[in-house]
Amino acid sequence: MSYLEYSVKSAPSGLRKILYLNWPLTILVVTVAGVGFLMLYSVAGGSFTPWAEPQIKRFGAGFLVMLGVAMVPIWFWRNISVVAYGVSILLLLAVAFFGDVGMGAKRWIDLGFIRLQPSELTKITMVMLLAAYYDWLPAKRISKPLWVALPVLLILLPTFMVLRQPDLGTSILLLFAGGGLMFLAGVHWAYFAAVIVSGVGLVVAVFESRGTTWQLLKGYQYKRIDTFLDPGSDPLGAGYHITQSKIALGSGGWTGRGFMQGTQSRLNFLPEKHTDFIFTTLAEEFGFVGGISLLGLYSLIIIFCVATAIATRDRFSSLVTSGIAITFFLFFAVNMSMVMGLVPVVGVPLPLVSYGGSVMLVLMAAFGLVHSAHIHRPR
Amino acid sequence: MIRIPLRPLARILKARDMGENPDAIENENIRRRHVEMEDRARTRAEGRILVLGAFFICAFTLVGGRMGMLATSMAAEPLASATGTTIVSQRVDIVDRKGRILATNFDTHSLYAQPPLMVDPVAAAKGLVAVFPDLDEARLIKDFTGKRKFVWVKKRISPEQKQMVHDIGDPGLLFGPREMRLYPNGRLAAHIMGGASFGKEGVHAAEVIGVAGVEKQFDGYLRDPANGDKPLQLSLDLTVQAATERVLFGGMKLMNAKGATAVVMNVHTGEVLASVSLPDFDPNDRPRAPTEGDPSDSPLFNRAVQGVYELGSVFKIFTAAQALDLGLVNPETIINIRGPLRWGKFSIKDYKYYGPELSVTEIIVKSSNIGTARLALQIGTKRQKAFMNDMGMLDPTPFEIVEAAGGKPLLPKNWSELSTMTISYGHGLSTSPMHLAAGYSAIANGGHYVSPTILKQNGPQYGPRLMSAQAAAQARVMLRKVVTEGTASFGEVPGYHVGGKTGSADKPKPRGGYYDNKVISTFAAIFPAHDPKYVVVVTLDEASVFTYGEERRTAGWTAVPVAAEMITRIAPLLGLRPSGAPQGSSGIVLTSQ
Repeated sequence: MSYLEYSVKSAPSGLRKILYLNWPLTILVVTVAGVGFLMLYSVAGGSFTPWAEPQIKRFGAGFLVMLGVAMVPIWFWRNISVVAYGVSILLLLAVAFFGDVGMGAKRWIDLGFIRLQPSELTKITMVMLLAAYYDWLPAKRISKPLWVALPVLLILLPTFMVLRQPDLGTSILLLFAGGGLMFLAGVHWAYFAAVIVSGVGLVVAVFESRGTTWQLLKGYQYKRIDTFLDPGSDPLGAGYHITQSKIALGSGGWTGRGFMQGTQSRLNFLPEKHTDFIFTTLAEEFGFVGGISLLGLYSLIIIFCVATAIATRDRFSSLVTSGIAITFFLFFAVNMSMVMGLVPVVGVPLPLVSYGGSVMLVLMAAFGLVHSAHIHRPR
Repeated sequence: MIRIPLRPLARILKARDMGENPDAIENENIRRRHVEMEDRARTRAEGRILVLGAFFICAFTLVGGRMGMLATSMAAEPLASATGTTIVSQRVDIVDRKGRILATNFDTHSLYAQPPLMVDPVAAAKGLVAVFPDLDEARLIKDFTGKRKFVWVKKRISPEQKQMVHDIGDPGLLFGPREMRLYPNGRLAAHIMGGASFGKEGVHAAEVIGVAGVEKQFDGYLRDPANGDKPLQLSLDLTVQAATERVLFGGMKLMNAKGATAVVMNVHTGEVLASVSLPDFDPNDRPRAPTEGDPSDSPLFNRAVQGVYELGSVFKIFTAAQALDLGLVNPETIINIRGPLRWGKFSIKDYKYYGPELSVTEIIVKSSNIGTARLALQIGTKRQKAFMNDMGMLDPTPFEIVEAAGGKPLLPKNWSELSTMTISYGHGLSTSPMHLAAGYSAIANGGHYVSPTILKQNGPQYGPRLMSAQAAAQARVMLRKVVTEGTASFGEVPGYHVGGKTGSADKPKPRGGYYDNKVISTFAAIFPAHDPKYVVVVTLDEASVFTYGEERRTAGWTAVPVAAEMITRIAPLLGLRPSGAPQGSSGIVLTSQ
């Protein structure tokens, strides 16, 4: 059933919409962000500068963005999703030509008031477009090869553009979020089986191409993979991050050393301690209990998103909400696994906790979409 | 799929009979079919969500389980798969020109503690303090009994200390291998070696990085594992370096100098065979850079390349050589040296009165400032500056140690005619002894520029020609005469035909003007003068010696005897045969040419 087919008279209107927000989700998001402020305060050695204060301001801005997005009916977002996707592709192109270079990669574009990372924006616009596509596509065409090829192209285009920046973490996220959404939309099993088989083939190709002229990844990316497979091979070089973060996790034990008592992370053993590796600080200071609690909070956020997805009977709302849940899940699962040495270091931040503006704003806008779907669901 | 007909005839006929609207039946059927399709789609979607949910639960379990595993793990660094094999000999050795070791690596141990493994933390702490009195007992006890799982105790311990810690017998005290840089010759060539220190440190390895000298200059090469068995070969000769250092140290003490430097260079290749700067230090235990006082008095200061001084009359030979090369004069041309030579409000004087006129050769032999200045006026500012530039006197030497870049010559702000005259006899332009050695090499090798180098070369490394071979030969004759009949008469080394030029320059005061009782005395020597192979430059800082009833500071009394003793010692080591029988009591004065 599409939004055209049910009456929207039962949906709240005006400022009363605020009462109909998905309040448990809001509370969870604020709690997780609060944990982030605490950790940023701690890594700075008990100071709001240089990280905690800007992060709080950004969260405030992000919260307003979330409310703004939530107030607008979900069908409006459905209608502009093609435009949104197009804009983010243009921004990615702009980055490739005019972008600022930072930390060895070209990811940022300076809009004057904010340094935007279009690759983050793409994560949500791509989900919106795919959801709108499957909302529009009649059910019996879903598994027809031509109608499968189109969304695949829509996913691969931004994925390759981000990979060129280079930003392996984001492109993996885009690929998996898009794939997950196609799976939820009901594309036939066989396609996924085929992709998995050829994926294995690609991995083999990547390793075979190493050292040849058509090498598929950059040298440092191979090195990260090597280090992942055997961190001991280079304990002071590329394995340094993983080694140090494992030490931090180990030294936290079950209950941790206590707030502001972490040494590994606070004493600058860890580069990127305030961004991708902030989980080590949490694990060191609050131990296993703290880490598993954060994991629990993240899971609750996912569960509430999925609950909204099931409650709403409109296909676009349902798909976009579960797409956001998948993206969010990928964020924290990849980050935590990376920090704990389960997957190679690819550079994915811990959502809502890591220091960073674009990710925060984009995630809050995404939660705004979930709220919008929740508020404007049929009753 | 069995399709339900939208308008089953039987029902419609029946409905008609009963007077109902057949469209209602159609609508009902449409609705029923919709619900069915929707239900199928939902079941499917929910099935997919379930699959993803299962995947999510797996991921959650995996991450949570891993977190638990790490939380219970020991806080040690993960063991490299082959401990030890990967960290041996990470830094390449440095050897002298004959392959003798100048710097190598030495395996020691680091000491760390894992308090959870400790049997008796307090006793262990007390035992450690007994071995290492500099440790703080209270601090150790706090660390060992607290929550910490890993504590660094000592970064570097000797084998004896290791045994003593071993004897404490606590299983929580552990050792890691640690490579350190060793300079087996101690202070020898300290300024060339520089020193090394630790970079990133871990339990199973520590990175050794160069902090000064060739260790820093060639850090990339030395650290590259690909160069494992290819040591860095320097141009230094260990024995020559040792002899030079000993003689210079003795000379510095004897001449009451506060500092001294010597350079021995091959005139054809530019290879530096010995380079000494005193006072020196032990690169095995490199001192910290001084935070106060004059950095140029610190033992870390390399006078040979960093020390830029006005070196005085040693420069006169460059002026004479250029004048000869330009054809302005020949060695016998008579120059008016009546003085003082006034230029504006300045006047140039000689050390003493040498008569009304001298030949060019005599100007060098007697070291007349006025005569040299008159030569410089004939050469002119532009040509002099170009000549100095070609000799490399206006830029830091290309010598391959990091400190060399800091030895930037001090040039006059405005290279006026007056500057031209003062520079002609070595004032107004400050250069390092290494610059001077390179300049003398050009005269000695027949007129080619050579660039000073610390790396072993194969064969002559001639740069551009600076002067004609004839001018160089004539200049060498003059240098020889300085020793046989001029200011450097103590420089004669029987059998080795030393030639050279002295220079005694008043030291500038920090705030302008010159001290009248502090000099930099220099002797730049070439030997053997008829076919020179080597240049020796000896510079003493504030040397002063009391001889024959008066205090003497000029180089002829201070730097020259030191250089002569040095040449006596190193010439045989360099494989030069003395010409004629060794002198001594025979009293025969060797003259040549």
